[in-house]
This record gives sequence, structure tokens and C-alpha cells, in this order.
Amino acid sequence: MDYLLSGLIQAFELLFKGDPETYSAVKTTVLASSLSVAASMVIGSPLGFCLGYARFPGRRSVRVVVDTLLSLPTVVIGLLCYAFMSHRGPLGHLGLLFTIPGMAVGQTILGLPIVVAMTATAVENLDDRLKQTILTLGADPRQLLLTSLWEARFALALAGAAAYGRIVSEVGISMMVGGNIKWHTRTITTAIALETGKGQFAMGIALGLILLALALMVNVAMSGLKRLSE
Amino acid sequence: MSETLYHLEKVTQVYGHRTVLDVESLHIEARSITGVIGPNGSGKSTLMRILAFLEKPASGRVSFQDQPFTKVTLEQRRQVTMLNQEPYLLKRSVKGNISYGLKIRGISDTSRPVDRALSKVGLAPDKFLQRSWRELSGGEAQRVALAARLVLKPKVLLLDEPTASVDRESSELILRAALDARDQWGTTLIIISHQLTWLRQIADRILSMDYGRLSPVH
Repeated sequence: MDYLLSGLIQAFELLFKGDPETYSAVKTTVLASSLSVAASMVIGSPLGFCLGYARFPGRRSVRVVVDTLLSLPTVVIGLLCYAFMSHRGPLGHLGLLFTIPGMAVGQTILGLPIVVAMTATAVENLDDRLKQTILTLGADPRQLLLTSLWEARFALALAGAAAYGRIVSEVGISMMVGGNIKWHTRTITTAIALETGKGQFAMGIALGLILLALALMVNVAMSGLKRLSE
Repeated sequence: MSETLYHLEKVTQVYGHRTVLDVESLHIEARSITGVIGPNGSGKSTLMRILAFLEKPASGRVSFQDQPFTKVTLEQRRQVTMLNQEPYLLKRSVKGNISYGLKIRGISDTSRPVDRALSKVGLAPDKFLQRSWRELSGGEAQRVALAARLVLKPKVLLLDEPTASVDRESSELILRAALDARDQWGTTLIIISHQLTWLRQIADRILSMDYGRLSPVH
């Protein structure tokens, strides 16, 4: 047990002394996850709105596909992204492999089903009178879309928070697409995996504490947003 | 000569296999007040939704300002607004709710019209403008919803039992504000109400609806 205790003490030393390697992983994590959550929201919110609002043939099947994608393993996304982004792949010329934007692409694929599914549910749960009110006040279709999304804003933010929680804690995509390159694409989760493998518990615990703090912040934000959306 | 706003000929609406509306002929003149009475489920609200362009009829001809239903423009649709028995307020302040219709019409200077509309429904602007939608009673919410319609100076105001679930004071203020709209801007009023005595006092004509069919009340 001593090595765990000493690891914890060293972890706090790394955190409070501002260890550059530790904070480099934190910076990469925050950067990649912020990019991917933003992309997930921009792409996923309108798609989720259409799925929750419009009635079209095959809608239920699309919903089943989206719900299935919620449990897509990160290593499968990593594998697919690697195959597409490697030099032999169709997106190889973009040079995305082993870069933060490349990781963000993979993480966007991870976050997108969460945002689409939660937005669709939020839109489905909107009061039936909302559409009628907006239309009888003179909205055109674009204004109807934007106002409906604004009315569901807390639920949308909740979707963003849920996606962030999933993305920030994933390891498969970061490891396979990012390559876990020190000072460059090493994230909190890939660093924990590496340091634990090396028997360096201190940095692993330090990064684990930061990850827990991030998860706590996301959860606090989510519970606040849930209250507001009710 | 008075202008006819709506023409309805042989209009039906069907939900599933049930015909809920079967109107042989209905003409509504500009600046008139039309009262509609009838039991629950008789098709009154369906008629209102068609007049508000929210629902397309299953068959028949509906025209507004001589324009067929499917060709009614956004500008024409914006001349018609509706207030329901249980209004929905947007999740924003009273000011945000009342100014919404103006803003989507591209009007940015909304302060004075919003103040006037709020006063019209008996709510003091300095007290209510910044209030959140959560902080309103049922009667206040209904009055704010009406103010959000009146601020648009609509050509047609459809009132679907607007006073059914509010207190007496709110009820009187709502009805007075609606009548003021007719007097000031020539707004055409179509009112669903169970208050036949009151409708007799204000309406130019009263129609009764039963099983989706309209007949005049004498």
C-alpha cells in the first residue's frame, strides 16, 4: 500500500508544482475535447432537431441506428479513423494522423450520436404548443428551427455536457489516432495508461485526479442544467 | 363595401377515419366579430387551426384575401395570430415574449410597442417587463400571451376560449383588450367561447358548431 500513498503524495507535488509534462497532457485533452464537442454540437444539434421534429419514412430506423451508435467502442472508431487517415487511406493527404485535429475528428464521431440522440429526445419532449405559438406569431421555417432549439437550450447544453464527459474520458481514439506522442498528442487518459504500464503511479494518479475533477465539473454542470430544463 | 377575408367552401378535416370538420360554407368579413359556440370536441379548435394556417384541410377550398390556402404567403400568414385557452410562453422574460413577434419581423426598436401592449392588458411595464415566464400566474401568463399578439396589430385575432382558465379580472381585461384591437386597428375577431350572453353583446354574428357542422345562432 505504501507505493499507492507515496504515489498520491507525489501526484499532489506534480500538480502544485505545475509539472510541465502533466499540464501538457491536460492542455492536449482540453483542446482536443473542446474542438470535438464544438463540432459535435454544430453538426449534431440540427440533425437531432430534424430527427426529433420531422416525420419521414424510416425515421424509426434512423433512431435505432443513432441509439446503436451510442455504444460504439472507441477502439473501433480509432481503428476506422486510423484506416482513413493513414497514408494509404482516402484522407491520408490531409495529414491528420497523430495530430490533435485528427483526434478531434475521431472524438467528434464519438460525441455525435450522443448529441443527436439527446437533442432528438429534447425536441420530442418540447411542449406541443410551442410550434403552434411560434408559427402563429409569424415565424418562418428557419426561425421555427432556431427558436425551438433556443427553447430546448438547457437540454442541448446537457447533451453537450454528456458528450464532453464521454469524450474527455475516452482512451481508444486518442491512443490510436493521436499516437500518444509526448508534448504533442498525449492526453490525460493515454498518459495514465502509459505511466501505469511503466509503474510510474504518481503521474497517473495526478492525471487521474484532474480527470475526476473534470468529470465532477461536468456532472455538476449537468445537474444544474437538468434543473433548469425542467 | 366590406372586404371578405376568409372564404371556406365544403371544407372537411379528417383525423384517422373520423371527420371532425364539415363546413359547407363560411365567409368572414374584415373588421367583424364572429363568435363560435359548441360542445367540446365539436370541431371548433380544428376550424381555428385551419384559419390560422396551422393545419391543411383534408378537402375543400379555403382562401384568405382571395389567396388559396396553399398559396398564402408568409406576409399574409403574419396578419393572422391566435391565442389559445392555455397559452405557451417562451422560456424568456415577459419583454422577450412580447417582442418576439416584432423581432422576427425585423423590427429592432421594440421598447415602446411592448410597453403599450403590456399596458393594454392591464399589466404595469415597470413591474412586469423583466419578469421571467416562470414568475407569472395563469391569468398574468394569458395576458402576456395576448400582449404578444396585440403588439403585432394583427388583421385577424383568433381567440380559442381565451378566458376559460383565468380569473374574472383577467378575463375582463383580455376581452376588453381584444375589443380595443378591433376598434383601434380594425382587427377581425373570431372568438370561441362558452359565454353566449357575452358573445351576443359583442359579436356581429354567432355560429354554433356541432359534429363539425356550422349553423347560425339567432
